[in-house]
Amino acid sequence: MAAYVVRRLFWSIPVLVALLLAVFLLMQAIPGGPFDFAGERSLPEAVIANLERRYGLDKPLHEQFANYLKSIVLEGDLGPSFRQRNRSVNDIIGDSFPISAQLGILAIGLALLIGIPAGIVAALNHNRLPDYVASFLAILGVSIPALVLGPVLYWLFALKLGWLPVALWGAEKPFFLGFLPMPTAKFIRHAILPTVALGTGMSASIARLTRASLLQVIREDYIRTARAKGLRERAVVVRHALKNSLIPVVTVLGPMFAAVVTGTIVIESVFGIPGMGKYFVQGISNRDYPVIMGVTLIYAVILVLSNLLVDITYAWLDPRIRYS
Amino acid sequence: MRTRSRWFGALAILTILAVVLSGCGSAATPQVVKETVEVVKEVEKVVEQTVEVVKEVEVEVVVTATPDPAAAAAEPVTLDFIFGSEPPTLDPALTEDTTSVWVVEQMFLALTDYDDDTLEVIPELATSWDVSEDGTVYTFHMRDDAKWVQLVGDEVVELGPVTANDVVYGILRTLDPTTAAPYSYVPTTVLVGAEEFAFADTTALSAEELQALRDGVGAKALDDYTVEFTLKQPAAYFPAMTSLWIFRPQPQATIDEFGDRWIEPGLIVTNGPYLLQEWGHGSHLKLIKNPLWYDADQVQIEVLNAPIVAEASTGMAMYENGEIDFAGDPGWGPPLPDMDRVKADPVLSTELAILPRLCTYYFGFVNTKAPMDDELVRKAFSYAIDRQTLIDTLLKGEQVPANSFTCPGIFGNVGGDPEVGLLFDPEKARQTLADAGYPNGEGLPPITLMINQSEAHLQIAQAIQAMWKEVLNVEVILEQQEWAVYLETLKPDSPDEDKPHIFRMGWCADYLDANNWLADVLHSNSTSNYVRFLNPEFDALVEQAQVESDPAVRADLYRQAEIILNNDVTAMAPIYFYTRIDLTKPYLNRIVNPLSMDHVWKWTIDWEAKKAATGR
Repeated sequence: MAAYVVRRLFWSIPVLVALLLAVFLLMQAIPGGPFDFAGERSLPEAVIANLERRYGLDKPLHEQFANYLKSIVLEGDLGPSFRQRNRSVNDIIGDSFPISAQLGILAIGLALLIGIPAGIVAALNHNRLPDYVASFLAILGVSIPALVLGPVLYWLFALKLGWLPVALWGAEKPFFLGFLPMPTAKFIRHAILPTVALGTGMSASIARLTRASLLQVIREDYIRTARAKGLRERAVVVRHALKNSLIPVVTVLGPMFAAVVTGTIVIESVFGIPGMGKYFVQGISNRDYPVIMGVTLIYAVILVLSNLLVDITYAWLDPRIRYS
Repeated sequence: MRTRSRWFGALAILTILAVVLSGCGSAATPQVVKETVEVVKEVEKVVEQTVEVVKEVEVEVVVTATPDPAAAAAEPVTLDFIFGSEPPTLDPALTEDTTSVWVVEQMFLALTDYDDDTLEVIPELATSWDVSEDGTVYTFHMRDDAKWVQLVGDEVVELGPVTANDVVYGILRTLDPTTAAPYSYVPTTVLVGAEEFAFADTTALSAEELQALRDGVGAKALDDYTVEFTLKQPAAYFPAMTSLWIFRPQPQATIDEFGDRWIEPGLIVTNGPYLLQEWGHGSHLKLIKNPLWYDADQVQIEVLNAPIVAEASTGMAMYENGEIDFAGDPGWGPPLPDMDRVKADPVLSTELAILPRLCTYYFGFVNTKAPMDDELVRKAFSYAIDRQTLIDTLLKGEQVPANSFTCPGIFGNVGGDPEVGLLFDPEKARQTLADAGYPNGEGLPPITLMINQSEAHLQIAQAIQAMWKEVLNVEVILEQQEWAVYLETLKPDSPDEDKPHIFRMGWCADYLDANNWLADVLHSNSTSNYVRFLNPEFDALVEQAQVESDPAVRADLYRQAEIILNNDVTAMAPIYFYTRIDLTKPYLNRIVNPLSMDHVWKWTIDWEAKKAATGR
């Protein structure tokens, strides 16, 4: 297993380099450069030239890319931000990634906490009322976009009931282990609404997947065997059926995890959360090349790692899967 | 059974962790310590006089906070508001956007300022200024009691007086091609040697040559409190220009020491009414009153507390929930979908204020592209826009239909002048289009209207598209591009084939003179001349206005230029003059400035009323 993990990690390096190269070339292909404009106005050529010299954009492309890789490998430096001179891309990610991760992990936790039990209840009551209710709620959850759910939540719980704050995030650096916030009352009060807004949609898709997969597994021969040998229904479901039916759920969890811990722009802007999501969009609209590359790289690394974790989990969930 | 006990164990650990960690959290909560600052002040209001300079000897005065038990319990007077986006910089040399300008205005003094009511140029760091006979040499006499201040933790550290050398350093650093400041081009049209220095190719120059260019810039410190600017030609608007952030004094020692990071809290050295205490990037800014500012005794609000919230509707909800004291610049005014509700609401409607904003929204015609190269076609399209209906039914912010490019509030504007501009006239629109050879729109090639992607611009464009259909019977094709692509398309030197026939654009004032509009945007050599308006007569008028010193003559020159632009040639169709729409809680007394360079130090809060209203 250890050898397998090392091999997987090793092979992810060329994947990441290829990805960076693709992003680098795509960025150059979009019309408009990072310094063509300041706010609503165009800049004179001479000023653009000064700015490009300052950031080494006057050098040939292959040299720019080589320098970029070199500074990542040798110094762990993801470069400067073109828009914010007082911050490097490392600063931007260092400030915003932990907050996105906090929200993402809470939301995934909530999604699992709701989604899996709901899926089980629906599957075990196949084509009965609880199934219909759970399926209806799941469809509702999947279809309501966060952009709508977020404002509805703060309208109800903040403006009408006055229980929770409208927006903002309740934790600040420094974080425990770099990303764990202090679970203060302030943190919890601020985290509830965005967690619900982000987690609901995911819990709905997890519930649907769990239900479908469990329904399939429950018709397998080995479940019939388990029942035949007189096991209690609970043991049959939890020990035999559920564990196997989680494979598709775990499969989607990998990419889902990578997507939410790196930040979701909608939830973060609706709730005024200083996460990383906005940099994916801002980086592109500002043509802030190093920011685009940096956040994409982080996303890719998290995706590679979570997919590896998913593959390892397979082996645990299904004894037939073994890596050597 | 086994599983359950394991769960219980985990739960127990989690609970303990939560208790322990939350304990840590509350212990770490900072205590509010009220600072009492003792500053020996010589309040000698020197207004219109040059001052005998006494060189200050002691430089580092550390003001320590003396905890006062009575005051410790009281919360400082705090203004709560939001920023709509993170200020990209707080460096006066690099600032280019309104959010940064707003914060810079709170922290850095300029030689000159604007009066909030009359918008006249008034003294700030400069107490007075003289102009040479020929109008090309400006001498500013500065006050001697402005200080550089650094906030280190809770300690306010004084770092010496703000001198003429700091002013000269500031403008030279802005112009320096190695600084590569986006706004470095702004002084190049007026200041001697600025263009040569700012646009120099540093790769082709030796250090000595670059130094020679630096020395050639017409900005000199005559003594510690007198600074002299030499202009290329007379420019009556120059004192207005010195209010710009790029002309503000900058602290050389700090910048040399910390480089690009000098604007971070703890490092930044400023001289204005407020000091930067916290800047959680992407999250919030916190400014506190500068006790060493020369007018500190007139400043009531002690803390400016502002998270960054990117969504206008969230800002509105925070306002209604009592979390912020006003909704407006530098955050968000009430969003458009809420406007009807706000106007109808008995409370909100009394908190609503609509004031002019010094910006113009316009549709530009690409004057070099057929059939827009025919002025009759352009006129027909402009006549057909019913600006008032657009404002009443869609924009709802009491914007003003625009007849000219330069908006009201700017020196030399002709906003509202009945003889300038084309306003809605469907009859004339149809007639003019027929005169151009396209009766009832027949024979006109497909016309494209391009906008940058934005819901608000799209709605406006669709409304005007419908007006053109109705009045002129012309089907206009609507196209959208992402902002950076859009600007690339519209750039004056991009090929006309790629350009649309009509596009939307806006312009906001940097300083209050028509030069910033007519010359900076529409002179034939301007990089913002997206309309490809190349008119020698117009160029001559704005050039003449630049060097003319008699205000009445200048105003008339700008009027003539506007008439060429709007009536004779109709290079563009100005749509409306912007307004700023604000909601302000009744306990806050807020004086706003149409340039969004608000002077928060003049604002006051009825603190007891705020505490009662917000329950803090």
